[in-house]
Amino acid sequence: MVSDTTAAEIERRRAEEAEAESADIDRTPVRTYWQLVRQRFLQHRLAVIAVIVLVILASYAIIVPTVTGDAWRTTQLFRDDAPPEVFAEDGEFTFAILGYNEYGQNLFARLGKATQTSLTIGLAAVIIIVVIGVFVGSIAGYVGGWVDNVLMRFVDIMLSLPGLFIILMITAFFGQGNVWVVVFAIGLTGWTTAARLVRAEFLSLREVDYVQAARALGASPQRIMLRHMLPPAMAPIVVAATLGIADSVVVESALSFLGFGIGRDSASLGTMLQNARDYFFSGPLKVVYPGVILILIVLSASFLGDGLRDALDPRQRVEK
Amino acid sequence: MTVEGARNGDRPLVEVENLSQFFPLTGGVLQRTVGQVKAVDDVSFTIRRGETLGLVGESGCGKTTVGRTLLRLIDPTGGRIVFDGTDITKLSGRRLSPFRRRMQIIFQDPFASLDPRAQIGSSIAEGLRIHKLGSAQERRNRVARIMELVGLQPYHARRYPHEFSGGQRQRIGIARALVLEPDLIVCDEPVSALDVSIQAQVLNLLRGLQAEFGLTYLFVAHNMGVVEHISDRVAVMYLGGIAELAEAKEIYRTPLHPYTIALLSAVPVSSPRERETRRRIILLGDVPSPVNPPTGCRFHTRCWLRPQLDNPTRCETERPELRTIEGFGEHQVACHFAEKLVPGAERDRFIEAAARTSSALQTAEAEAAESTTPAQKDRGGLFGSPSTDVPDEEGQSRL
Repeated sequence: MVSDTTAAEIERRRAEEAEAESADIDRTPVRTYWQLVRQRFLQHRLAVIAVIVLVILASYAIIVPTVTGDAWRTTQLFRDDAPPEVFAEDGEFTFAILGYNEYGQNLFARLGKATQTSLTIGLAAVIIIVVIGVFVGSIAGYVGGWVDNVLMRFVDIMLSLPGLFIILMITAFFGQGNVWVVVFAIGLTGWTTAARLVRAEFLSLREVDYVQAARALGASPQRIMLRHMLPPAMAPIVVAATLGIADSVVVESALSFLGFGIGRDSASLGTMLQNARDYFFSGPLKVVYPGVILILIVLSASFLGDGLRDALDPRQRVEK
Repeated sequence: MTVEGARNGDRPLVEVENLSQFFPLTGGVLQRTVGQVKAVDDVSFTIRRGETLGLVGESGCGKTTVGRTLLRLIDPTGGRIVFDGTDITKLSGRRLSPFRRRMQIIFQDPFASLDPRAQIGSSIAEGLRIHKLGSAQERRNRVARIMELVGLQPYHARRYPHEFSGGQRQRIGIARALVLEPDLIVCDEPVSALDVSIQAQVLNLLRGLQAEFGLTYLFVAHNMGVVEHISDRVAVMYLGGIAELAEAKEIYRTPLHPYTIALLSAVPVSSPRERETRRRIILLGDVPSPVNPPTGCRFHTRCWLRPQLDNPTRCETERPELRTIEGFGEHQVACHFAEKLVPGAERDRFIEAAARTSSALQTAEAEAAESTTPAQKDRGGLFGSPSTDVPDEEGQSRL
């Protein structure tokens, strides 16, 4: 009996081993870099929550203004500071979940429009920041020498000027209230830190062995920069970009609050805060709504950035 | 390539003439050059077709820089590099590209030398893609063949570097260098980051590949044993210059430069009998800074021979050239007094004296170390060192 079971056991084990061997020769599942990144990101609970919050905010910003149309700026007489009213008298759904403001504008719709404007400005400004920053930074870092010196001194000059002041000047000069002027103003002043970041990455990557190997193989500078240096430098760029979204949204709000950003005929989180300032004590909720959205955007963006920073670092191990 | 090879058949594959590589030290607001690190200073040597030239020296002596400058990964400050009859010192871009194909490099650190984001099949095929060789299918086949050649399985091609061990990664690095079928491979300390057992495997692989493809190696290393194992000729570097250059057997049997003698005396010996007869020479002080190297002979500040010759001023004023010594064939030494170290009674006497001074120093140091240890023990006892306290405690608990 005993020998029987052991014989069977040995047989079974042998079969297992053979299988394992063939599996090895076959194709053992290979986890790619991006699979590992996803796994690490999902372990970062706050970042996952941040993504969910951002998705909700983005769908709010897309869906509500589309569905409600002009409701965000339609003033309704006799509805000034009216309380929430979900269904109109004729039974129609009104979207006035948060009530009305002092002009009788639907607050829920207005907040949706404001979120849309702020997120759009944040994203568009960050795209400008990343494009200019990567371009300047990679050239400075790869070429080095006097080119690097000239570009970095220019960056130093840009950094020494007060950013908000420049943005105020640009918006005051090129037409107040235009969303794209605000975007360009933020983008043109904000790329300097991104450029420094990319330059630092490129400076250290230039000396890495695998980049030297590519040079020894005869790769052109463009090929080295695009294929061997930009991908590893992408991680800090993506992180900086997510944090940049938060920054840009705040700058836009500050700008609008000061009256130089989005005009009163449109809506952004800043203009809503600015309008609500006069009713701080009589209607504090008008401050709270845009304020909460602003905080959610900024917090989520920075948690997302943190999560990405950890996930994109290939040195971080994945716990199973 | 074969035609060219035949044409330049008698010439060495690589001729390096008076190569210098100074790195500027900048300082101040204007980034002005305030000094220079003389990493390589006036170095000349040749590498013959199919041979392995070993390049040894302490860390910081410039041996890696020689290798990288040779490959034009760094632009030399001065001198000439002639590759297969063509001066490549000033070539760049498109004109340099055909030569890039013919010389490759293997790195020291197998963890840094591969792109962590690229599958290794793609890393190995990079050279083929750069030079637009073959179709995608041909490239795949070529990569698979090369991988088998260096002892990897073709199915490894789809894996990422982090899935391999150090030795395997080094094989990948070798495959990448080999894929373009180069004439020259600069091996930059290819085994110093590996386990001893893996070192032997990789060295044997390199030798096998050399025999199969007629490769020429410049083998940079700091391990004298490894260099002896693989090299046909050996160049010993000290502080940016070559101190001695000779056939490997020759240099290990009769080193003629005081530095080489000291260096070889430091190689660990496995046989106890030899260990007893070994005369260890310890060099005093540290290697001087290459920013401000000593005048004349760069080794004169630490030379053990010089005091025994009553400190000749020539060592301080005149830089010795690499020269042949009568009766020693191709053996080249950069020392004014190499003749004093020609095998014979005089050489033995000099070495004996130096070894005696060294061992006296060693005992003095050991004594000094011993005199401090008891004090440390005392202090340890105070803070509850196990050696004294534990038995006491045990005794108490037993009571």
